[in-house]
Amino acid sequence: MLESQLPILIVLLALGTFAKLATVHTDSEPGALTRLGPAVLVPGPLRKPALVCCAVGELALAAGLLLTTHPLFRWGTVVFFALSTYVLLELRRRRPDAGCGCFGEVSSTPVGVRSIARTVMLTGMALMSVWAPLPGMSGVSWWTLAGVVVLAVLSPELEEAVDRIRYRAPCEQRPSVESVGLAKLKASSTWRSHADELLSAEPYDSWRELCWRFFVFANREKDDVVFAVYLTGRHPVVRMAVVGRDDTDSMPEYTAVSA
Amino acid sequence: MCILLSSGGKSGELCDARGVNSTERRRILAAAALGRDAGHPGPDPEGGDPLRAVSGQIVDVSPHLIIIDTEQGVEERLVIAPWATAWHGVDLAPGDLPIGATVVIRALRDGKVAERIWADITRMTGAILSVEGRRDLHVELDCGPHRGRRSVLIPYRTTGRLRVRHPQLEPGYLFDAIGIRDEGVGHALLPATSQPGHPARAVPTPPPAYGGAQQRISGTATWSDAFDCDERGAAYPMVERSDAACPDAEVSCVGLPYLAIGSLLHIRNVCTERAANMPIVACGCMAGRFCDRCVECGTSPRGRIVELSASSFVELGGELTKGCFNARVGLG
Repeated sequence: MLESQLPILIVLLALGTFAKLATVHTDSEPGALTRLGPAVLVPGPLRKPALVCCAVGELALAAGLLLTTHPLFRWGTVVFFALSTYVLLELRRRRPDAGCGCFGEVSSTPVGVRSIARTVMLTGMALMSVWAPLPGMSGVSWWTLAGVVVLAVLSPELEEAVDRIRYRAPCEQRPSVESVGLAKLKASSTWRSHADELLSAEPYDSWRELCWRFFVFANREKDDVVFAVYLTGRHPVVRMAVVGRDDTDSMPEYTAVSA
Repeated sequence: MCILLSSGGKSGELCDARGVNSTERRRILAAAALGRDAGHPGPDPEGGDPLRAVSGQIVDVSPHLIIIDTEQGVEERLVIAPWATAWHGVDLAPGDLPIGATVVIRALRDGKVAERIWADITRMTGAILSVEGRRDLHVELDCGPHRGRRSVLIPYRTTGRLRVRHPQLEPGYLFDAIGIRDEGVGHALLPATSQPGHPARAVPTPPPAYGGAQQRISGTATWSDAFDCDERGAAYPMVERSDAACPDAEVSCVGLPYLAIGSLLHIRNVCTERAANMPIVACGCMAGRFCDRCVECGTSPRGRIVELSASSFVELGGELTKGCFNARVGLG
């Protein structure tokens, strides 16, 4: 029974590591890290290193728990989760608006009683595992499952994930990558039927408006060929029009639609 | 305002490809592809007698007539209405304006009757980089990737007034003030907003969107003098970073849909019920960082949706010294 919680601790520590590293890696929106976790308690330039440091520490503990029975890793895990409890209490007191960042960006809901109860629970599990006779994943049992259920109940991230799936932002507000739009265009039948009229396979202008991305090419008659690609779906709607260079009003010579 | 595109093999100035205005060209091409009406920029006729903004340099001024030299080198003579007022740091009679001052005039009757005159007005919007000085304060602002840095002087007599609305006058926080230009230096005289409580790089995330995007979005419209003189257009925060070559775009505390430079916006001033179609001509990355409200007529929802050129702002009935109006914006 003593070793039953070790698998949970190892998996959670590894998950925490990768989620944190992913958040640091995709820090595309400037300032996203200023709302997450213990990082908000340190000055701005140190936020990224703090998050990376935390992730590396978690990975070392996970590896230690998986491979050895050395008390350094066992007690290290206890100290890590006890410290986390204190940091979350401090975070809740000083920055009630910040999320715990335990699993990176998905833990952006403000720290509540459940997050704190979870770290207390994890500290207890770590303490129980100190005297486990075996290392690693060998202790999987019904007790492990019970531990998972309790942790799931205490995890606000699961609700966040469900909400994200249920209430997905409309496509007008979702970011999209230009190269994905171009790839979708080049996979369409509209493209295949007009590709050989174009001077170049690379657009000379491209922009996105609501759910459409537009690509403009020049054809052999030096007219503009504009393709509009709908941004959702695997085989999106593609529309095209040819507009004379001197046209100042929307007078397409012809328009084709494909699905 | 010319935007240099440099991503994805695109190059050249957006505002001048083949002698055609590219923002307009984009609108025509998009309309052709989707089979819709391209729309036309300009005021909605339902708003009553249209206002016209005239800007230039004062050549001569008397209590009844003002003569200005416009950017195009044309001399314009405007009759000053009996009820007209002027602003040059303080409210004053139009006849007292200094010759040589750069003015923006709100004019009636096809731009022939001056109703309100703002002289040497400037707006200083940005993130604070440094604050120096004991009596007069020298503030260095980061005005976004396109607009660069700017030095602002806060004269001692206005520091109290500005500090009340900008309690966090320290690096990393936002600053927005209106003042006058004097020998190339901006003197901040009036706070243009109550400073948002969040740092410039920690803009709150927009609320989740349930059940699709809205047709019209309400919020704040402000103005900026970073546009070309006499330019009509808007800067919009939610443009793709790669399209606008603007690394700080796509940030707003309002759930805004993605649009592009060249898209036509329908902007309504809720306070004066004037509306106009206006093209997006720039990336509004700095406006997107302000999660504030406008209290010009009632309290607007949070967040700046568009930043207009001074001429467009005036033609929609906005008061430059107030700095904002409550706006409702949709796609034109």
